[in-house]
Amino acid sequence: MRPEVSSDEQAEFVALLTASQGAIALTIRALMPGERQVEEVVQQTNAKLWQKRGDFQRGTNFRAWASAIARYEVLNFRKQQARDARLTFSDELTRCIADEVPQMQDDLSDQQLALRKCLGELKTESRDLLLSRYRGDESISQLSARLGRSVGGLRVTLSRLRTALLRCIQRRLDSAEGLA
Amino acid sequence: MNQEERLLLIDSLLDGSISDADRLRIEAEMIVDRSVRQEYYDRVKLAMLFENELAESPAFSPPISPANTKRTRWITILSGSILAVAASILVLVISGKTTDPSGEGNPASQPTAAGLRSGAELSASGFAVLNGQDDAVWTGTAFREGDLLPSGELHLAAGLAHIELFSGVQIVVEGECQFTIDSPMQVTMLRGMARAHVPEPAQGFRIKTASGDVVDLGTEFSVNVDHDGADVHVIDGKVELHPPGSDLLRLDAGASRRLAESGHILDARSQSTGPVGPTEFQDRVRQKQQRRFSQWSQWGDSVQSDPRVVAHYRFRSDRPQTRLIENLANHRSPLASDGTIVAAKRGTDRWGRSEGAIDFSPIGSRIRVDVPSEHRGVTLICWVKINSLDRWYNSLFLTDGHEEREPHWQLMDDGRVFFSVKVPKDETESQRPQPVFYSPSIWTPALSGRWIMLAVTYDVDREMVTHYLNGQPISSERIPDQMLVESIRIGHASICNWSEPMYRTDPDFVLRNLNGTMDEFAMYSGALSADEIMQWYETGNPNE
Repeated sequence: MRPEVSSDEQAEFVALLTASQGAIALTIRALMPGERQVEEVVQQTNAKLWQKRGDFQRGTNFRAWASAIARYEVLNFRKQQARDARLTFSDELTRCIADEVPQMQDDLSDQQLALRKCLGELKTESRDLLLSRYRGDESISQLSARLGRSVGGLRVTLSRLRTALLRCIQRRLDSAEGLA
Repeated sequence: MNQEERLLLIDSLLDGSISDADRLRIEAEMIVDRSVRQEYYDRVKLAMLFENELAESPAFSPPISPANTKRTRWITILSGSILAVAASILVLVISGKTTDPSGEGNPASQPTAAGLRSGAELSASGFAVLNGQDDAVWTGTAFREGDLLPSGELHLAAGLAHIELFSGVQIVVEGECQFTIDSPMQVTMLRGMARAHVPEPAQGFRIKTASGDVVDLGTEFSVNVDHDGADVHVIDGKVELHPPGSDLLRLDAGASRRLAESGHILDARSQSTGPVGPTEFQDRVRQKQQRRFSQWSQWGDSVQSDPRVVAHYRFRSDRPQTRLIENLANHRSPLASDGTIVAAKRGTDRWGRSEGAIDFSPIGSRIRVDVPSEHRGVTLICWVKINSLDRWYNSLFLTDGHEEREPHWQLMDDGRVFFSVKVPKDETESQRPQPVFYSPSIWTPALSGRWIMLAVTYDVDREMVTHYLNGQPISSERIPDQMLVESIRIGHASICNWSEPMYRTDPDFVLRNLNGTMDEFAMYSGALSADEIMQWYETGNPNE
């Protein structure tokens, strides 16, 4: 039977869980590159965290605890998917990712705002290209055929646009901190 | 590799188009270089930000295409689930600060929490776990304990189900009942009875009905929705009724009213307070399981004195440190030896007792047994919980080597059950193909981690091999002429592994331990009837 959890503890737990949603989603994404079913695993992880809320020791690092469970859920997911070993990172890298990502600064709302602003600064065609890629409605070869460009060239363009966007986001975050 | 090459590889890793060789290259870089990992994390984050952006900004929405709608939907779910968790906090904060919880506790109408934006569709999350059920019959998908319940309409045709929402709200629904879990803070009842227990952090929890809403102000109430309204009973604490056509009404403990189709509040039609509450429900389920458990325990006596039983192992021991598994069969015919545990660990059995089962996942795990004499047919039965079928062959019960007249029972990696008895060499012909009796594939990932009962019978008189899953025959096959082995022998054998393999060079052959847990194994001399196998299942099933 599950240990009883007082309502104060429960409220605190919900607060931690809510505040860590960005970190949990990011960790799971980083552990499952190129896979579509990230959201299933995020949901499973949240459900598991909730089931195990009685095990969480108040005052210890919630994110580290959640990340260990997330890592396990990713493993579990692969088992159930009659997993493809090729898609799994080595244990060593998995452990690194599960340790590092949850501790990253993850105030997604600021970053989201910054992305929106930075997207606005891009040329329309660059913005459309990126959005189209992330929407995933066309494969890169379909996209290259439509635009009359080589796949390789398109990849390079996309990669540079991403780098530029990340720099822009970082610049905006830095200057916002400077003002505050 | 320069930075631009690295970033190209990271991008193709993230869009799933990377080659195996490139994958290994970038992984090697990531392992040794923290800055490469940081580049990777940034790209992962950028993808997530983009997906949020696409989900929430209609301006970026492209013309509708099937691929797009699919993609956007799961992004919406992501945002929805985050928002839903936040909503339960928000309600907590607001109910703490204001003295007039006027029903604005409905999470969908709340201002946004820090770090989270509005506009996500709350109803997509469907966040609840099936905590327990009692004689439950679901229409459509049959859910099991511990399953996540999906969003969308759920239909409990009969029985009781105990559902725990992510907000901490616990609901017992009684069939016939149709409902949807809109969010951790809202359930829509289309028809039927539900009783909700609402912990303090989830105050403001709402049950919507066609004739008005019920908002909880703490702690327990029931709703019974019929064709022209809904009866509401407050068992403890307070609730508010929000009829569409008139003012809200606050009800105290013990009070009951009816939300009528007309939009008015009337006297309740029935006095029933609906299903049992979550606590009583759990007590009831526990008692029921207790009853089943003691029936199963007693039933063991009749199994053990059945003269056909050669071996009956229940893997629980009062002395968890012991490596011995006692053969419980106690009549006077020749019996199998006690079992000896090798390498395996103890695990939790199907009745929830820790140390009650044996986990065979460590490599080399097995239980060694010795079975004397010869048998005119056999029946093998086990209760097992399989994690996954990792190996080409996944052992259940195999004699050492594979000599003439010896049986082998195992699972193939494609989910079929394999059973064979080696046919002796004919004096005239030296080699002939050995018959193998396969079941259809029984394995789906949904069975992973669930207790199931497998059985197989080798019936000499009827010349048939029959496979069973959870008491039901799944396939029966005639033993070909000249292939019938009338006298089966076993000798030294292993449960859940294979000893002394003769094909040592082939690792697929050598590694055969089952990645799973077993808590009971029996062998009978001769074939049990389908009814007897069913009785094994019904008595041993902890759940229904």
